[in-house]
Amino acid sequence: MSDGLAVELRQVVKRFGEVTAVESVSLQIQHGEFFSLLGPSGCGKTTTLRLIAGFEMPTSGDIIINGEMQGHLPPYQRPVNTVFQHYALFPHMTVAQNVAFGLEMKKVSKDEITRRVGEALELVHLGKMGSRRPKQLSGGQQQRVALARALVNRPKVLLLDEPLGALDLKLRKAMQGELKALQEQVGITFIYVTHDQEEALTMSDRIAVMSAGHVFQVGFPEDIYENPNTRFVADFIGETNFLHGTVHRRGPLAEIAIAENVILPARWASDELPAGSSATLSIRPEKILIASGDEKPPSDGEFVSVPGQVAEVVYLGTDTRYVVRIVDGVQTVVRVQNLEMGNKRFKVGDAVMLHWRVEHGRILKE
Amino acid sequence: MQRLFARYPALRAWLLLLPAATWLFIFFIAPLFIVLVYSFLERGTYGGVVWQFSLENFRRTFDSLYFSTFLRSFYIAAVTTFICLLLGFPLAYYISTRPPQRRSTLILALMIPFWTNFLIRTYAWLTLLRTNTGLINVSLMSLGIIDKPLPLFGNDFAIILGLVYGWLPDMVLPIYATLERLDTSLLEAASDLYASSSKVFRRVIWPLSLPGVVAGSMLVFIPSLGAFVTPAILGGGKSLMIGNIISNQFLAAHDWPFGSALSFVMMAVMLLATLIYFRSTTSEERMQP
Repeated sequence: MSDGLAVELRQVVKRFGEVTAVESVSLQIQHGEFFSLLGPSGCGKTTTLRLIAGFEMPTSGDIIINGEMQGHLPPYQRPVNTVFQHYALFPHMTVAQNVAFGLEMKKVSKDEITRRVGEALELVHLGKMGSRRPKQLSGGQQQRVALARALVNRPKVLLLDEPLGALDLKLRKAMQGELKALQEQVGITFIYVTHDQEEALTMSDRIAVMSAGHVFQVGFPEDIYENPNTRFVADFIGETNFLHGTVHRRGPLAEIAIAENVILPARWASDELPAGSSATLSIRPEKILIASGDEKPPSDGEFVSVPGQVAEVVYLGTDTRYVVRIVDGVQTVVRVQNLEMGNKRFKVGDAVMLHWRVEHGRILKE
Repeated sequence: MQRLFARYPALRAWLLLLPAATWLFIFFIAPLFIVLVYSFLERGTYGGVVWQFSLENFRRTFDSLYFSTFLRSFYIAAVTTFICLLLGFPLAYYISTRPPQRRSTLILALMIPFWTNFLIRTYAWLTLLRTNTGLINVSLMSLGIIDKPLPLFGNDFAIILGLVYGWLPDMVLPIYATLERLDTSLLEAASDLYASSSKVFRRVIWPLSLPGVVAGSMLVFIPSLGAFVTPAILGGGKSLMIGNIISNQFLAAHDWPFGSALSFVMMAVMLLATLIYFRSTTSEERMQP
């Protein structure tokens, strides 16, 4: 289906007694999209997923899957399948029986079940494991069985609840690539819940960043990273410097005063604020160039330049992390890629100049 | 000592086993052995035994009188087990799905009757069930709902009722233990894979609770088969089980060898039932989820 949405949430609210888990969430997810719900634990991302799956019913609002209102339909009547965080494989069934379960419930013919289970296991590279029990498999293999068990039903939407959470780092990285490739191969819409921002950035077509039951920002990974619209998003995704100050001058290119005589131009991340109100300037560590006082910034584009003093140098292999004091009590982190061997240009105490492009600085509401 | 252990490594293990082995020997193996020996002897005129080898006792257990009692006891124990399962499973399921705080309260409520002596509780049933003076019949008749007393006492119904009442918690607890450990995400996974509630039960909950069901059934079946207090009181002296006959041989008839033989045959039957039960559930199913 080329038109319409795979999943739409309209002002969905979910309360558990006094506690609001999901607060007026609206989302539009396209067909074939790899869509991530990203946020810290307790932000409502898993509840949102469970609402789509039908394990929870919304307190108010509508959930539309494939153009159809779900209302209070139970999970077994929804065209979605879930991959659970701890896989939830049936321990009393073999791998093949696990994968066949959904098809059996749908009363698919025996021959077709055998064929499709075989295909699904091939798809996740477990072709020879059909007769094993889940307990006899490694974590990564169990993960694949869970995937096969869901995908074999050819759902309209696949819901994944931190599916890589229980795997070790190396396997996790490998599975990230595999999952993404698999999603492109089968073309099914994936809704992926994770608290790992790196995972979300590498795999997703679009990301919704959630906190305290709200969706803060929805966008492409580079959008979320480069143009965070709130302090929370800027802080949660990647590392960033927050320079607190007051709005000095309004206008499309605003100025923010972070100290008496340090006034920095930057762009608004959201609505403009009146002059004098407090605001935060956010700048990513890798966007800042560190140079000696007499070096000029590159000539292409408009740069912000601030003098400072090196307070800390940490060599990290691929790059070097400097902490630079701008004025008393205001520090900023700078990351410099180590393009050359032993590239430690500055020592603690050195006077340096920091430069960054005006558009990389963003003013966020306090 | 150390050198001794080094030379005979098994010695240390045997020494450690000694207290437990002594205990088992004195309180379990020795009495059982005495009973076994008695079952092959002849009765003394005024109780006790005469040291004369005989197989007569075992032959007598297959006399139609005793054999039919065996069969009846088997039937009563089976029906009791089945009813306990029918009542106990939903109860265990209900308790296991409550919030943790409520669960402990409900389990406690289940156990409270057991703080009273079993004999007293059985006599309490007697007051309720007795044919002409029992509370149930008296109430129903004075209310005019029935004009003749219902046959609530002195029959299999009364015995089964008493046994179900007595052993129900032994069915509930092991089933509750397996259900409580059941991962709820398995139920969600099944329902996500298009299984309706009844299918979720048949395909996931039931097979995964089988170890508890088997354990509970054995815990109910075995004591029910050997019961003698309940049939003695609620059977009204008319309806007997094998347990009553055995206790009569020892206490009233002074035929210890025959009582011993009956005990051993009953133990053999129980062992057989246990084996069949374990065979009927594969080792995989008995494995805890």
